[in-house]
Amino acid sequence: MSIALESLTSCFQGLIPALFCTCSSDGIPNVAMLSQVEYVDPTHVALSFQFFNKSRRNVAENPNALVRLIDPDTAQGWLLRLRYERSETTGPLFDRMALRIEAIASYSGLKGIFKLLAADIYEVISVEPAREEVGVPAIRQRAAAADPVFTMKALQDLSQRIHGADSLERLLDSILAGLEESFGFNHSMILVPSDIPGVLVTIATRGYPESGVGAEIRVGEGEGIIGMVAEARKPIRIAGLLREMLYATIVRERAQQAGLCAAHARIPLPGLAQPESQLGVPLLVRGELVGVLCIESETPYRFHEEDKATIELLGSYLAIAIQNMQLQEAAAAASEPEPIAAPQPKPASAAKQRDVVYYAADECILVDGEYLIRSLPAKILWKLLTSRAQGRAEFTNRELRLDKSLNLPEWKDNLESRLLLLRRRLDQKCPDIRIVPRARGRFALELGCEVQLRMQ
Amino acid sequence: MIDKQLAEFLESGLPMYLGTRNGRLEPNGVRITAVRIEPDGTRLVAYIPTSVADSVLPDLQDNGHAAIVLGRPTDHRTVQIKGQFLGIVDDADADRDLVLAQWENMLRSFEQIGLPREPTAAWTMWPCIAVRLRVTGLFSQTPGPGAGAALS
Repeated sequence: MSIALESLTSCFQGLIPALFCTCSSDGIPNVAMLSQVEYVDPTHVALSFQFFNKSRRNVAENPNALVRLIDPDTAQGWLLRLRYERSETTGPLFDRMALRIEAIASYSGLKGIFKLLAADIYEVISVEPAREEVGVPAIRQRAAAADPVFTMKALQDLSQRIHGADSLERLLDSILAGLEESFGFNHSMILVPSDIPGVLVTIATRGYPESGVGAEIRVGEGEGIIGMVAEARKPIRIAGLLREMLYATIVRERAQQAGLCAAHARIPLPGLAQPESQLGVPLLVRGELVGVLCIESETPYRFHEEDKATIELLGSYLAIAIQNMQLQEAAAAASEPEPIAAPQPKPASAAKQRDVVYYAADECILVDGEYLIRSLPAKILWKLLTSRAQGRAEFTNRELRLDKSLNLPEWKDNLESRLLLLRRRLDQKCPDIRIVPRARGRFALELGCEVQLRMQ
Repeated sequence: MIDKQLAEFLESGLPMYLGTRNGRLEPNGVRITAVRIEPDGTRLVAYIPTSVADSVLPDLQDNGHAAIVLGRPTDHRTVQIKGQFLGIVDDADADRDLVLAQWENMLRSFEQIGLPREPTAAWTMWPCIAVRLRVTGLFSQTPGPGAGAALS
């Protein structure tokens, strides 16, 4: 093979559909479009087996095949002459390919229908340039000269920001600001596990019109790449989301026509209205999921192959930084020795009144009829508001930890993350009810309005 | 065999490939520039870039078997046509406007899914050699359940 297969990594992103040519044993050619071609090793590729049964029957009879790929950077076409070797239905390669397909499927409520049946492994006999699909030299040079996304300088800048953060809130904001200012990623979000098992909650975002803090995503249950990243605990990168979504949409229509899925299950995309590239990274510390970082771009193929290892490494670093800060804040709050005085709350402005309703059965709070927050942050807010009605205005994290009614876990309760989430939701939805930090582990509840409390 | 509605779709300017095979049952394939469906719907003309015609023409002249896949990028509606080579059409240049109009629409469909036309500027899609095929089969290859079903 004169051209190294490794040099074609850009072609394997699926940005432009690949073509798959086979031939039956009685000599009838077949041509099909392909969802995925995956690099396996210097002499093998894997093709996704989802729907094209005729191609599969052909290679079972006659192992000769031809794949045509197009490099999205240069528009150069490539011909790979292949020989079918075997199919895999389990293992790391299968999992990697299946994860990408499931991530797309999850956006369209197609999980379980739009899926990988097998990863078919082919020996690559030869690689030749396509003579009609000739790459543009200027584009090629520009692509070759493009700066890598993850430079040492950018990593150093981000590291400095992380070291300079003195609270969880500042740390999370510093990470997202660093990703924008040092790496150029304008749209990003961090989600952390909520106190509800299997649910992630958005705790920090950057670059979106709505902050989205408090938005929940169920792990692995069909809500885009974030849920999939959390479930698989592996990064997912999508290079051309529009094309892949169009693909999933037509599969969905066909599945509906065949009565295989309901018509109402489509889940809207989070974040950007039309993201083209997405990169989701699990934030893991010794196997524990601390959170998920999701970066989006409106540019197709924004995250190149060489960026993948770096973002995985960066994810580990961020995970350790976030977990350390959570533990540090929890330890500092636990050592808070001072008893709490009961200062008289400042009188609230009578200009406005808020109707706050706590639905105990659902552990959910609505303010003026609009959803605010649920679960543990809702229980905390209800406790703070009812205490304030009795004259309390300042609180400590420690007393919340000791409060049996909140039922916090004894180990790693992530209380500081919950308080941050609650504070940000209040800022966003009713800024006249404020949680204001006073010192580490101590905060005040300030009201700029009258609050009418009701429990249902 | 190809009705008027399907012919309109096939001639609308789609990404399309022609597949053949040689005597050792090894597949060959090239991107083609356009197709023209003949009025009775039983035959079509495929326009193969001259620069790569030697990749598939010997196969067509040797055994005659061909497959063409055409898919619309914006919704992935995809059709495969099986055919038998009937011969080379004289004077492909006479269809230049029709062929290039389809190619222009193909580039627009790429743009609609976010693929700019600039990188494809060096693709050599014209001049073409025109080959006539008899249509022997039509299949839907739109992804999803039912992909591969014969079109009546």
